[in-house]
Amino acid sequence: MSQDIAVPSGGRSLVTAKGLHKAFGELAVLRGVDFEVDSGTVTVLIGPSGSGKTTVLRSLNALERPDAGVVRIGDVRVDFGQEPAKRDLAALRAQSAMVFQGHNLFPHLSVLENITVGPVVVQGRPEGEVRTEAERLLDQVGLASKAEQYPYQLSGGQQQRVGIARALALRPKLMLFDEPTSALDPELVGEVLTVMKDLAGEGWTMMVVTHEIRFARSVADQVLFMDGGIILEQGAPEAVLVDPQQPRTRTFLHRILDPI
Amino acid sequence: MGNSAFTSRRQRRAAVLAAMFSLLAILAGCGSGDSQSTLDEVKDTKVLRVGTEGTYSPFSYHDPGTNQLTGYDIEVITAVAGKLGARAEFVEAPFDALFASLVSDRFDVVANQVTKNAEREAKYALSAPYTVSDGVIITRTDDSSITQLSDLQGKTTAQSATSNWAQVATKAGAKVEAVEGFTQAVTLVKQQRVDATVNDNLAALQYFKTTGDDDVKVAAKTGDTSEQVFAFRQDDGELRDAVNDALNQLRDDGTLASISTKYFDRDVSIGDAGAEAPDQSGPTRSTWELIRDSAGPMALAAIKATIPLTLISFAIGLVIALFVALMRLSSIKAVSGIARIYISLIRGTPLLVQLFLIFYALPALGLTFNPFAAAIIAFSLNVGGYAAEIIRSAILSVPRGQWEAAETIGMGYSTTLRRIILPQAARTAVPPLSNTLISLVKDTSLASVVLVTELLRVAQVAAAPTFQFFALYGVAALYYWVICLVLSLSQHRLETRLERFVAK
Repeated sequence: MSQDIAVPSGGRSLVTAKGLHKAFGELAVLRGVDFEVDSGTVTVLIGPSGSGKTTVLRSLNALERPDAGVVRIGDVRVDFGQEPAKRDLAALRAQSAMVFQGHNLFPHLSVLENITVGPVVVQGRPEGEVRTEAERLLDQVGLASKAEQYPYQLSGGQQQRVGIARALALRPKLMLFDEPTSALDPELVGEVLTVMKDLAGEGWTMMVVTHEIRFARSVADQVLFMDGGIILEQGAPEAVLVDPQQPRTRTFLHRILDPI
Repeated sequence: MGNSAFTSRRQRRAAVLAAMFSLLAILAGCGSGDSQSTLDEVKDTKVLRVGTEGTYSPFSYHDPGTNQLTGYDIEVITAVAGKLGARAEFVEAPFDALFASLVSDRFDVVANQVTKNAEREAKYALSAPYTVSDGVIITRTDDSSITQLSDLQGKTTAQSATSNWAQVATKAGAKVEAVEGFTQAVTLVKQQRVDATVNDNLAALQYFKTTGDDDVKVAAKTGDTSEQVFAFRQDDGELRDAVNDALNQLRDDGTLASISTKYFDRDVSIGDAGAEAPDQSGPTRSTWELIRDSAGPMALAAIKATIPLTLISFAIGLVIALFVALMRLSSIKAVSGIARIYISLIRGTPLLVQLFLIFYALPALGLTFNPFAAAIIAFSLNVGGYAAEIIRSAILSVPRGQWEAAETIGMGYSTTLRRIILPQAARTAVPPLSNTLISLVKDTSLASVVLVTELLRVAQVAAAPTFQFFALYGVAALYYWVICLVLSLSQHRLETRLERFVAK
C-alpha cells in the first residue's frame, strides 16, 4: 500500500463467503450463508434481531469463528471447517476494520491516541506519519479540534465518528459497521450517516448492519435480507427494499417503516 | 523463661507455634547427618553462636548509651565461650524464635534466662543453673494487707497468663488478671486495678533499679525458687558438659559472682539473693531523653528495614498477583486450579506461620535464606495472594467490548492487557491495593521473628532496659502512622491521575 489511505477501486469481487455455519450451543445462528461483495461497493445487511447479521459481520473480522464455511477477503482465504491457524486468522482480521454499535473507544486514551494506537503498536508504522494521517482522518470526520480530548468529553455521535476514524486509520480493504447508529440519540444519527455516506462516495468497500432503510436505499449497492440464519433475499436496494419478493421481507420492512 | 512476666505475649505466640516447633525438630533431626559434633565445630571455628533476645533487661539488652548488646546473660556466656577457647557471636531474635532457631541450627545455644522445667528437659540439653531466683509479691507501697503468700487469698493479681507465677498466685487463692508483661502488671497495681503481682526477684530488682519507682514495694517472698539455664540441641550433650565445666570454673574463680554483682549488687548465681531494692546507682533517664535518643535508631530501622521491606515485597507481590490473577482467569482448569489453591493457602493461613515456615522449615529441605530475603519472600507471597483477587476482579470490571475493540485492531493478548485492559483496571484496583500496601507496612513488624531488625523491634530493644514501653511504642506507632500517611497521600494523587479519563 503505497498511498496514504487505501481507497480500493471497484469492479471485482473483494469478499466471498461460502457456507457459513455457526451455532452457540443448541442455537444455530448461521445456517449456510453465502454472498459476494465487490470492491468499492456498499452492502447493507438488514433483518430481524437474532437473524445472524451481526454474526456474519463478526465472522469476517474473526471476532467470531464459524463452525464451518470459507471466508475470503482479498487474497486471504480461511476455511473454518479446518481448525484455522492463529496466523491465518490474524491475516484475515487485518483485511477489515470494525465500527461497533457501542463505539468501544479506549476511555484512557485521548481521541488522537485512540486512532494512532493500532497503526503504531500493531502495524509498527512510524509515529509521526501516523499522527499526521490521524489528524487528517479526524478532520475528515469533522473532529479536528477534539484530538487531545478524552472520549468521555465527546457526544455519542462524535464518539462514533472517532470510532470510524480509528477503523479507517488501519487502512483496511473492508470497513465493517455493526449497527453504528443504534445506540445514538435520534438527533445524532445524521452526523454519523453523513460521514459513512462520504466514505461510500470515496469508493470504500463497506458492509453495514443497520435498520436505517433510507440510508440503505440511497447508499447501498447491494442489500442482504437475513432471517433465521440464512440470506432470504438479496439484490439491488430498489428490488429488495421497494419490491421484495419474500413475504418475510415484506413483513419486516412494513414493521420497520410503519411500526404503529 | 516461664517465670518472666516480661514475655507473656511472646510466650503465647510460642505456645501457638509449639506444634510447629516439634515438626521443625523432626525435620532438623532428619537433616543433621553431619559427622562433626557441635563442640568440635566450636573448637575448630573458635566461634560459639549464641541466640538471645536483646530486649530482656538486665539479662540481654542494648545499653541505651552505647547501643551495645550487654547484660548478665551476655557477659556470662561470653566468659563461658572464653573458657572454651572461642568467641561468642550473638544472634538476636524474639523469644518465639529462639528455640526454633536453635533447632534449625542458626545458633548453638540459647542464653536468655531459660527456666528449667521438665518439659524443656525432655526436649533440649540444659546446662547447670547460672541464675537462681526467688518469687516475690509486689504491692502498692501503702498497702500493708499482704505480708505473706497466703494473704493473696481473695485478692486480685496481674500475671502473664502462661507464666509459672500465675499458677503460684492461683494456688494461693488469688484471682488472676492476664496481662502482657511486667510493666503492665505494675501499672495495674499502681492504678489500684489489681492488688498485687507475683514475679521473680530479679525482674523486681531490675525494675526498682531502673525506674526508681517508690509507689510499689516488695511485700513478701513466695518461697519458690527457679533455676535459669542455657539450652542446647538435644544431641549436643557434649557441648553442654563442656559449658558446665566452664561454669564451674567461673564460679570457682569468682567471675560469676562479680558479673552478678555488677548487675544486681549481689550474687544471683546462687540461691536466696534477696529482693530488697538495691542502691539506685546510675542516673534514671527521663522519658524525653529516652525518646530523643531512640528516635534516630528507630528512624534508621524504618529506613533500612520497614520501608524497603514494604516496597520491595509489594512490588514483587504485585507481579505475582498479576500472574496469579491471569492464571485464575484462564479457561484451562488445571491452571486456574493452581491459582485457586495458592490464593486459598495464602489467605487461609496466618502470615506469622508463613514467615516461620519459610525461614525455619525450608532450611530442612536445603533452602536457607538470610533473614531479609526470607521476609521479602514471605511478604511477597502474601501480597501475591491477596492482590491476585483484587486484580482479577479489576480486570473483570473492564467491559468486554474493550477486549473486542483491541482484538479487531489486531492486538494480541499481552499487548491488549498492557495497553488497554490494565490501565483501565488500575482505576478499580488502586483503592483496595492501597489497603493491602498500608496493611503491609504494619505487617512488616512481624519480620522480627525471622531476625530482621525492623522498627518495632528497635522500639522493643530501646524500651527493654528502661521499662518505657508505652513511650517507645508510641513513637513507633507515630512512625508507622507517618509512613502510612505518606502512602495515603500518594494513593490520592495516583487516583486523581487515573480518574482523568472518567466523567466527573
